[in-house]
Amino acid sequence: MKLLSLITIFIIALTISFSTDAKQKDQILNYDIEGAGTGAQGTYMVKVTVISKDKKPKEDLIKRSAVHGVLFRGFASKEMRQNQKPLAGSATNEAQHADFYKDFFAENGTATAYAQIVTGSREVVKAGKEYRVSDVVIVNKDQLLKDLQAAGVIRGLNSGF
Amino acid sequence: MKSIFKYIATAALALIPVITSAQAKKPTIMVIPADTWCYENGFMNTYNNQGKETKVPDYESAVQENMDLVNVITKIGELMADRGFPLKDLAATVRNINQSNAEDEMTVSRTSGATLAESPLDRLLNRAKADILVELAWKINSVGPKKSVTYTLRGIDAYTGKQVAAAQGTGPQSFSAEVPVLLEEATLERLDNFASQLQAHFDDLLENGREVTVNIRVFDNGSGLSLEDEYDGEMLTDIIDDWMAQNTVNHRYSLTDATDNMMRFEQVRIPLYRENGTAMDTRYFVRTLSKYLAKQPFGIQSKILTKGLGRADLVLGEK
Repeated sequence: MKLLSLITIFIIALTISFSTDAKQKDQILNYDIEGAGTGAQGTYMVKVTVISKDKKPKEDLIKRSAVHGVLFRGFASKEMRQNQKPLAGSATNEAQHADFYKDFFAENGTATAYAQIVTGSREVVKAGKEYRVSDVVIVNKDQLLKDLQAAGVIRGLNSGF
Repeated sequence: MKSIFKYIATAALALIPVITSAQAKKPTIMVIPADTWCYENGFMNTYNNQGKETKVPDYESAVQENMDLVNVITKIGELMADRGFPLKDLAATVRNINQSNAEDEMTVSRTSGATLAESPLDRLLNRAKADILVELAWKINSVGPKKSVTYTLRGIDAYTGKQVAAAQGTGPQSFSAEVPVLLEEATLERLDNFASQLQAHFDDLLENGREVTVNIRVFDNGSGLSLEDEYDGEMLTDIIDDWMAQNTVNHRYSLTDATDNMMRFEQVRIPLYRENGTAMDTRYFVRTLSKYLAKQPFGIQSKILTKGLGRADLVLGEK
């Protein structure tokens, strides 16, 4: 009886550990980003590929990855002859305002409000035990920039003058 | 209670000038067509400069006759205004200069009939200018039915001549897009990178001071004043050089040329604010040098010629 209880506790602990691990992986935002053409004025059109164990990851994860990529990685595309620098300027901006971005990119954070997935753009490729899930996302970069400048995490051209 | 409100109101009113004055002078930016674009599109004026044929860009005709140029300048202006940094418009500036010239010609005094005083230098300075000139050029490339646009945007600091921001590249080929659409796409594609470099330039300026050029000259008025004159055993050139070292941000400046008649200081980093917190410009910076030289043992009178936000000449010898 004692052995049975111990085994049950071990199984429960293992399950919690795995689910936490999966959640943490989602938090880290494991993705690739590339240009997908010129968007309408005030927007960027990017193709985001997330690496996920789930064949159908939440749209929220793809949107957050797109906004994160536009802000801190920038994107390029040889085919579209695009090369955009990160909107936040310096890569250290994320570390400098870590508290702000933690909430901003949280699962229920506001980052997703700036992205919109283009319907019918999804591509899924199985890679080993994971899936590479791609979507074309339109990021409302002008509004994103304005809101982050208003929040004081990104400097504007007008700052200091 | 009333007295507390009165105290707060007085304190707030007293703070207003401090708050409003703690702003550095904002550089002006204007988009102009690059010389190469003007040349390729036939917008050049030719004049005889002492026997030598010289070509200068004809901005007035370019903005009056080329719709694509107007569209691109307007789009850049719109995008920059969106970022909170409205630009000086070339067409409006050219129009204002013409209008103001016409008005000046007609302005006379009621009593004596005298016209407005204008030196040859005043006339020369009355041209379209800005602190940062953004040179714009593009070329439409055609391969059979396919078209693409090569687009160049260069931000040049008018006083240091440094390229402070740039965006250049060739867009994807298109079968169907018209030239204005290709140009609009190129502008949308390139402007963010350009603005991000401009931001880096402004950040540097706010951190390390404004970079300006200062020239010291001597009036040839027969007084015999020379920059090699000695005061208390020190040559005037060295006295001015020491003053620069003491008054620039982190002692950053370069004395590029020095003779007995002139000194040329480049990359002079001046503070953005005066001691009282109000904005500093090159004129005020040079005025403090002028005041220093007017004192004993030097007693040198001087004249300040300002050339925009980032360049000033101090001519020694007389006012």
